[in-house]
Amino acid sequence: MSQKKTKVVVELTRRDILKVAGAAVGSAVAAQFLTTGPLSPFASLKQAQLERASQGAIDREKYHWGMVIDLDRCIGCEYCLRACCATNDVRSDRPWNIVVKDQTSGGRSFFFSRPCLHCQDAPCVEVCPVKATYVREDGLVVMDYDRCIGCRYCEVACPYDARRFNWEARSDENTFIPTWGMAEVDRRPRGVIEKCTFCIHRIDQGLAKGLMPGVDLEATPACVNICPVKARTFGNLKDPNSQISRIIADNPVFVLREELGTEPSVYYIPPKEGL
Amino acid sequence: MATTTLERKPLPFNLTPGMLAWLGLIGLCLVIGIVSAVQVFSKGLVLTAMSDKVPWGLWITIDLSAIALGAGAFTLSAIVYLFGLKRFQPIVRLAVFVGFIGYTTALLTLVMDIGRPDRFWHPWVYWNIHSVLWEITWCITIYLAIMILEFLPVVVDARLFDRVPYIRQARTAAHLLHKAAPVLALLGLGISLLHQSSLGATYGIVKSRPIWFKPSMPILFILSAVAVGPALTMAVAFVVEWITRFSGFGLLVYGYLKFWDLAAVTYYGRTPAVDNALYMLRTQTPYNFGFWVMEVILGIVIPAILFITPRFNRNPVYLVMGALMAVAGVIISRWDVTVSGLFVPLSYAPGTLYKLTPGRYFPNLVEWGIAVGIIGYDLLMLTLGIKFLPLFEQGKEHS
Repeated sequence: MSQKKTKVVVELTRRDILKVAGAAVGSAVAAQFLTTGPLSPFASLKQAQLERASQGAIDREKYHWGMVIDLDRCIGCEYCLRACCATNDVRSDRPWNIVVKDQTSGGRSFFFSRPCLHCQDAPCVEVCPVKATYVREDGLVVMDYDRCIGCRYCEVACPYDARRFNWEARSDENTFIPTWGMAEVDRRPRGVIEKCTFCIHRIDQGLAKGLMPGVDLEATPACVNICPVKARTFGNLKDPNSQISRIIADNPVFVLREELGTEPSVYYIPPKEGL
Repeated sequence: MATTTLERKPLPFNLTPGMLAWLGLIGLCLVIGIVSAVQVFSKGLVLTAMSDKVPWGLWITIDLSAIALGAGAFTLSAIVYLFGLKRFQPIVRLAVFVGFIGYTTALLTLVMDIGRPDRFWHPWVYWNIHSVLWEITWCITIYLAIMILEFLPVVVDARLFDRVPYIRQARTAAHLLHKAAPVLALLGLGISLLHQSSLGATYGIVKSRPIWFKPSMPILFILSAVAVGPALTMAVAFVVEWITRFSGFGLLVYGYLKFWDLAAVTYYGRTPAVDNALYMLRTQTPYNFGFWVMEVILGIVIPAILFITPRFNRNPVYLVMGALMAVAGVIISRWDVTVSGLFVPLSYAPGTLYKLTPGRYFPNLVEWGIAVGIIGYDLLMLTLGIKFLPLFEQGKEHS
């Protein structure tokens, strides 16, 4: 009796295994089809997105957005920090854009400021386990807040301390608004990493309107526009005739921690007497 | 070499006062853990002592340690099924069980530690094959599946399920699975060697942090795991002598490589950045004490002596003591790696480090609460496993 049962059992098990395997493969195919195929609830959304993108027809390959900061010009007024905090609605105690006092080896003090350097070989991009941050075709290192899982590996790996984590849901009042500008982007949710974007929303919307970032104020990062001494210049590094390319060609420039090979998009003009 | 074989029945599980107290302790740990977890989930990681300067802390240490201490599973599976040392079979089931507890511990803590626990599945869907963390996530997932397959025959064998309908069919299927044990052991070995060393690479590849950025990091991680993982299994089983010898020699190799790393990599291969960073750590943080006293003496030298010298390794008390010390040594080394690397502030210009102050971090109440809860989970799993699963009866079905 029991032996008979066992025989039946083994066959049943085998068939069961096949059934389960079949169901698994089937549901995987179905899931793939439903999420990406024409039946997907996201299909129309995706289609609309694609159409909008192709209408603008911005060829991002033509650009490489960069910045030059002249350390001799900077007076340490922190206007860039404030405009950035207002425009991007950043917490003032954890700013994206920092300004610190530094000293040359000769003892003369100068001011040093630092946005995200938008490295072309960025350590943060390399370590992200979910590709929530990546280098876009136009050289910007962008964050996908909807994909970030908040593991903070990028924050650990960034050699320039440019990344900040949202440790809590924001409820603070931004005292830089409206004096230093209005918030142009949403606050980031709790649990994701954020950093300087080079005011990516201004660049994208500006280009769509036919404006040139770095030339037209509306398409240029807030920190560049507000600088009272024009210490910061923004523009397209791929265009040899842009203002930024000419400044880089005519001045001694350096990048931060060059030995790491991160290839930052932000160049610094050192003080005349050297660092 | 005398080998103590394990012929143990599951421990009697009568609700004696002692057992009640034990269960009460586990319950208390779990309550503390759950209360802390609810707090963290509702208010966010702001409740922890971590900051933008030191974004990783106690929980990452627990992740790393739990996975390292779970290494007994693949080490012993490989020894038995690949190198054919069948006499060590009685402990494999237990080793895989301990490994399973370790890996689930790591996953539980990781879910607490990431800012968006609701997106824990993203690494499986959104791939960044350049990220060592992505590779680790995948390896851990695959290895957890391998361990479940390895362990399934044990679970269905449990007497608890004797009256469950269809259990006989399930047992037949599971025993077919058991025939695949060598294949699973081989897969497990490959996957484990990958991710155990990648955990070291998580630190070793970060070029922005001078004292992490060195090629010896993965080697130190994997060797300490292979040496100490089996020792933990031994401590749980209480005593099996041969395995402590294996651990003892493993610790000696690990200890030697630690010196090699200190001399060849860190000292003779040093750069100004590493020099500055170590000077800062030694003068302003308890780095020297953690390294020499806790990691080297407590974690390597004493356990190696206890495991290898005949005077001590016949006495189970010394062996268990040694295993616990080695375990503590591994946990402390993971802690030291994590926090001392983050304590050194980032400096953009060479020669400015001395002007900066080192980062500060010590876990606060809610972080310890999660840690206590995790320990409660481990103890609960162990207690239930020893009570209900035939962990020590491997010999029966093969004789």
